[in-house]
Amino acid sequence: MKKLFLFLLVSVLSFALIACNSGDSSSNPGGKQKLTVWSFTDELQEPIDVFMERHDVEIELTIIPIADYPTRLRPVLESGSGAPDIFTGELAFIKDWVEQGYWENLSQAPYNVEELKGDFVDYVFDLGRGSDGNIKALSWQTTPGGIFYRRSIANEVLGTDDPQVIGEKFSTMDGLFAVGEELKAKGYRLFPDEGAVRWFAQGNNPQAWVNENNELVMSEGRINHFDYAKQLREMDLTAFAPEWSPAWFAAMDGPINYNAGWDAVDTNASNEVEVFAYALPTWGLHSVLKMNTDVTSGDWAVTNGPNPYFWGGTWLGIYSGSKNKDLAWEFVKMMTHDEEFLTNWALESGDVLSYLPVTEKIKGDFSEPFLGGQNNYTFFLNQAESINPGLVTRYDQQIDNFFGNMVSEYVDGVKTKEEAIQEFYNLVRNAYPQIKTPDQK
Amino acid sequence: MKNKNYYGYLFILPFFIVFATFSIYPILLTFYYSFTNYSGMGTPEFIGLANYKRLVTDTYFLQAFINTWYIWGINFIFQIGIALGLAVLFSDIRLKMKGLGFFRAMFYLPNLITIASVALLFGILLGWHHGTLNHLLLDLGIISKPINWLNDPTTARWSVALIGAWMWFGHTFIVLMAGISGISNDYYESALIDGANRFQTFISITLPLLKPIMLYVLITSLIGGLQIFDLPMLITNGLGAPQGSLNTMVLYLYNQAFRFNNYGYAAAVAYGLFIITVVFSLITFKAMYRKSVN
Repeated sequence: MKKLFLFLLVSVLSFALIACNSGDSSSNPGGKQKLTVWSFTDELQEPIDVFMERHDVEIELTIIPIADYPTRLRPVLESGSGAPDIFTGELAFIKDWVEQGYWENLSQAPYNVEELKGDFVDYVFDLGRGSDGNIKALSWQTTPGGIFYRRSIANEVLGTDDPQVIGEKFSTMDGLFAVGEELKAKGYRLFPDEGAVRWFAQGNNPQAWVNENNELVMSEGRINHFDYAKQLREMDLTAFAPEWSPAWFAAMDGPINYNAGWDAVDTNASNEVEVFAYALPTWGLHSVLKMNTDVTSGDWAVTNGPNPYFWGGTWLGIYSGSKNKDLAWEFVKMMTHDEEFLTNWALESGDVLSYLPVTEKIKGDFSEPFLGGQNNYTFFLNQAESINPGLVTRYDQQIDNFFGNMVSEYVDGVKTKEEAIQEFYNLVRNAYPQIKTPDQK
Repeated sequence: MKNKNYYGYLFILPFFIVFATFSIYPILLTFYYSFTNYSGMGTPEFIGLANYKRLVTDTYFLQAFINTWYIWGINFIFQIGIALGLAVLFSDIRLKMKGLGFFRAMFYLPNLITIASVALLFGILLGWHHGTLNHLLLDLGIISKPINWLNDPTTARWSVALIGAWMWFGHTFIVLMAGISGISNDYYESALIDGANRFQTFISITLPLLKPIMLYVLITSLIGGLQIFDLPMLITNGLGAPQGSLNTMVLYLYNQAFRFNNYGYAAAVAYGLFIITVVFSLITFKAMYRKSVN
């Protein structure tokens, strides 16, 4: 018995060794060219399959969770060993990376992407540009945001589910709150959580967090955001389901439990509450709403908030040290401006593209069953036009974190508005000593 | 005579190569970075002692230092308290508790769950409006409105500390059980004959003879405690909120390096942490030395 076990063990081990070995040596079967791609989502898998069919090459996609992505990627890019031929960048760090030499300069020959400038949604194209004026990365998608709401609730409370009419009501913060009050009276909640208004803090005069002199900009809109968030809490317009929490997802598909015994609200109110709207960008429809709804599918529509905003997005560039730049460029080309592929891709996935020749073609009669047949394509493209890429800085993700945190401390009553703002400045200075905060002037 | 001694060196060489590459080199490199303003990209620029000057006046680091001790302190008291209580109970010759193996496995179980699952689990249990604990307490009429456990500095720190205690008391329990089983039963039997009660046996026999083991638990827990990172990181999404009360020293280091890209300053924080660990280790060693003299 023991011998048999040992025999098995040894054979398994040797098999594993052989398998590993052959895996290494046969990585290039039949002399096929091989590309490696690194990304933080699996969205590229389908295009890669299409590309492999078309070109008879092998592409290996490595997916690294977004939280580890920059930390994992940076050393291989810096050292050059084991680096991918193509890697993607997310909005949160694209500004950092276009300044580095890791991405091939696409503005020069043989790529000459400047010729395509007019074919892309402006802000998407410009975010791939470094301060030296050269394009380093392209993106096939555009990610403006809107407010997704439930048609049935709109009909019941507001008497209409027309996105146009509701968009008008939502076009100011006060209008948003007024609708919120109406909803509350009928036992609904405007948003799942208070974070949902953060996109509308900018107001109609949006400014970048950090200006060209490395100074933190505290605009009036941002200061007002403290009051709006507090108002939202005091008026009890949300369901207290924090973003990405199980309750947050659950509220998309039906009523959720609400505040048993929470004494700040009407005690006669039911313990269950339904959420009316979510502030989400283009990808929120496919990767968030559709994934988490069953009953409410088809009962949604999308409209604008008080101001346009955008959230996320994936950029694609070629590693400057890659040995397969030609092939890599073929892939980037297909992904970002191949009409045939992009048309199929957009119709299949519903991804809102940044490549205008294709969007012009399909936006006319686009209809999304999930949104009750609404043409969300045209809506999002219109929103995308009002986005200013100059507002994005490399610091945004962290600064937004600090800001959101201080807003909630103010809303919770832990700090006064002045204390919260002061603490916000301290946090920014602690993280980025090179930034001058308004209190230093 | 041929000297074959060098074969020995040859055989231990692999260890030293690995050790030098993956331990010594990074440690020295970190030391070098702590004098630069390295941002993770490009070339580091030498800035002398600026990072260390910043470190000693950094109120956020001081806060992280206090937080770490606060959390570890509560954690340790509960961890050792529960473990010791259970160990004494299970080793009592009069009680003859059954099912030691079963309980040992049960107590140890939390230690085997990945920290990510633990964070997720307690995130749901301690949630504000939809949390299980709040619903339970409300239904039982113990509280009249939901408590936002993870949004108040005190309850957040206590939560993390108690989750840590829950995770580690099983481990400590096993170590203490091992220590107690090393104490000869003769002592207990003679104490029984002399008519000592349980409390007296515990104070006069178990505790003094368990001191070396307790010290071992203290030191290992301290080293682990100074590095509390994963739970605050996952529960607060790396922010150390509320009001920075879960911002531990290692979390602060992590944020400075990998979120804010201040690699140079993070290297200085790492050396600050190193010095703190050395200081407290020396204090503990001193205490141990005095004990052995007595």
